Amino acid sequence: MEATILPEVTAAGVIIKAVLILAVISAIAGFGTFIERKILAFMQRRLGPMHVGPHGLLQLAADGIKLFTKEDIIPQHANKVVFAVAPAITAATAFIALAAVPVFPDFTIPFVDIYVPSIASDINVGILFVLGMMAAGLYGPLLAGMAQANKWGIIGSARTAIQFLSYEVITGLSILAPIMMVGSLSFVDFNNYQTDGLWMVVYQPVAFVLFIIAGFAETNRTPFDLLEHEAEVISGYATEYSGMRWGMFFIGEYANMITIGVIAAVVFLGGYNDFWIFPGWLMIIAKIAFSFFFMLWVRAAWPHVRPDQLMWLCWKVLMPLAVINVIITGIVMMLV
Amino acid sequence: MSLEQFKNRNVGTQNYKKLDLEHSPTCGWCQFKQVVSRTFKPELFVGLWVTLREMGNALFRGKMHTTQYPFEKLPISPRYRAIHDMLRLLESGHYRCIGCGLCEKICISNCISMDTRYDENQRKEVSEYTINFGRCIFCGYCAEVCPELAIVHGPRYETASEQRASFSLFEDMLTPIDKLNLQQEYDGFGAISSNADENIKKTPLAY
Amino acid sequence: MYEVIAFYIFAISTTILFLITVMSKNVLYAMTALAAGMVMISGFFFLLGADFLGVVQLIVYVGAVMALYAFAMMFFDATKDIKEKHQNPALVFLLGGLMALVFVVMFSAPIIGENVQALYPIVDGVGNAQAVGMVLFTKYLVPFEVAAVMLLVAMIAGIILAGKKMDYSLTECEVSDQELEDEILKGEAK
Repeated sequence: MEATILPEVTAAGVIIKAVLILAVISAIAGFGTFIERKILAFMQRRLGPMHVGPHGLLQLAADGIKLFTKEDIIPQHANKVVFAVAPAITAATAFIALAAVPVFPDFTIPFVDIYVPSIASDINVGILFVLGMMAAGLYGPLLAGMAQANKWGIIGSARTAIQFLSYEVITGLSILAPIMMVGSLSFVDFNNYQTDGLWMVVYQPVAFVLFIIAGFAETNRTPFDLLEHEAEVISGYATEYSGMRWGMFFIGEYANMITIGVIAAVVFLGGYNDFWIFPGWLMIIAKIAFSFFFMLWVRAAWPHVRPDQLMWLCWKVLMPLAVINVIITGIVMMLV
Repeated sequence: MSLEQFKNRNVGTQNYKKLDLEHSPTCGWCQFKQVVSRTFKPELFVGLWVTLREMGNALFRGKMHTTQYPFEKLPISPRYRAIHDMLRLLESGHYRCIGCGLCEKICISNCISMDTRYDENQRKEVSEYTINFGRCIFCGYCAEVCPELAIVHGPRYETASEQRASFSLFEDMLTPIDKLNLQQEYDGFGAISSNADENIKKTPLAY
Repeated sequence: MYEVIAFYIFAISTTILFLITVMSKNVLYAMTALAAGMVMISGFFFLLGADFLGVVQLIVYVGAVMALYAFAMMFFDATKDIKEKHQNPALVFLLGGLMALVFVVMFSAPIIGENVQALYPIVDGVGNAQAVGMVLFTKYLVPFEVAAVMLLVAMIAGIILAGKKMDYSLTECEVSDQELEDEILKGEAK
């Protein structure tokens, strides 16, 4: 495919893009809590938040006010510096990961003529960078749990480490097979590979399922929400947190959900290519929205697993599957 | 259904259905087979379908369960003993109470106090009637003993108030004269609630 | 210009973070600083245009290795300071200083002699991942495979160390606790 000539990416464009991502994703993350509560409620035949604003829409603002004005408590025996820094790690890594991901369509600001790219930083190992950054995000829960001098926190951070050691191999191996087919680590190449309308999920159904499972573990969503499962470990690593510090964990989690949605959409579900009569920007938003909805849907439907079950699943079932998938992909690529 | 069936305490012979749960696998190959069969059995998707179906039911078929409580209230059983109501005669609008004092006498927590006098027609008139709701135990004796069905238990169960006196005066409990047409007659002891038909459903054990 | 600023930021923060790692008496501070220092080091790779190595640094060191460290840290009280015992501080200082000096000389000598050259410079049109792959599977194939075998050996050893009692299920009570204990004792006696 002949690449269209794009305007030059300037520093101003990148800065505008970064601010845009920060603002929009934070807002979506906040709005995501509302959507989550609503959808979970509907699936349990409840109404969800209704009182603040029409159909509870302003609940978001009420929650925000509450989070910002709540007292920021640092426990007496906690390691204060690390305790204070940990939530920022979660939020920051989640947003840094979004820097290498195509989030919104590119556009040019009229009058000042600044081109705002689709990806803030189009490094050619984008997919690895995103996964690595999300892996670095585990330091948030890990340090938070260890710094707060609380036994539930310690258990939460131990579970963080266990979960990380379980899913990280699956994430890498599952995405390796599509990488082999495309021959590149750049999101743009993944998108261009699927312009003919055949989505990667058709070629790599196993890798897609494995990636979705690992993605759930990566974002601590329900079948694998071991870190802060309140029935077992109160709130895990977030036990002692209050106010905006807790809110930063929350924003980080939702930003990660969006990141996983973007990766799934671009790598497996055809990216931002036009589909039938729908333009590409609508398609990618629809795909991300569906993966977001799917995460909530699963939370309403499925029970969660024990840490040892997650480890068993990842190392004894998923990892062999992923390796076999990679080998078969390699053999087929060699023969064809 | 005979009484014998309830007297039978022998669990083993009753009409229990045993689920044929498979034994947990012992050998490695059996475990592998179990994993494979569970993986390809679409049980997880059944779960997803159920939640999606319920969402559709709730959103589009009006099967939402939520009652938005302060704005909506479920109908309450007529047997419920909440704050007392003083009823009026439907024809004349005069209060029904004849000042006989039976409720005051029977009240076991001594919370009803009343005073009567003769009015200009030499009829008995209630000059003062209060119920101390700090003491009332809502036993319902006053309503049961009243010969005129004048004092009954009403459906007002939200009894949180800034002052104890808020409910207790005769005028507070009396049906307002302009709401006389809305006055509910007490259905009597043993009456069933107005939405009893909707509430009839199979117990969960039956299915 | 930007590169120079970025380099100095990364250099200073790396040095400070690793100093904290060495100097701090608190386990948690040391670990946090080490992890942050690893992130800063990956910044150098990005500056040099070696995106792939930078990301690998992120994933391997920041992710996997540090997670293992952190897992080990769970067994300590991370909020308390550690009391270190120095038998002979003068000797430690001397040896440590000498080692540091040797390293400085080792790494600065080629720079002073202007004998540094890139053996595998960035080739246009060849991605980072391909370049690393080509070097790994041609010139450094033997060390690469030896490293792989070494890791395999370590993995098997780890499994054997950890998996002595793997045959016994702790959740199923087909075997009574007493029997289990006897079995384990027998196994140890062997």
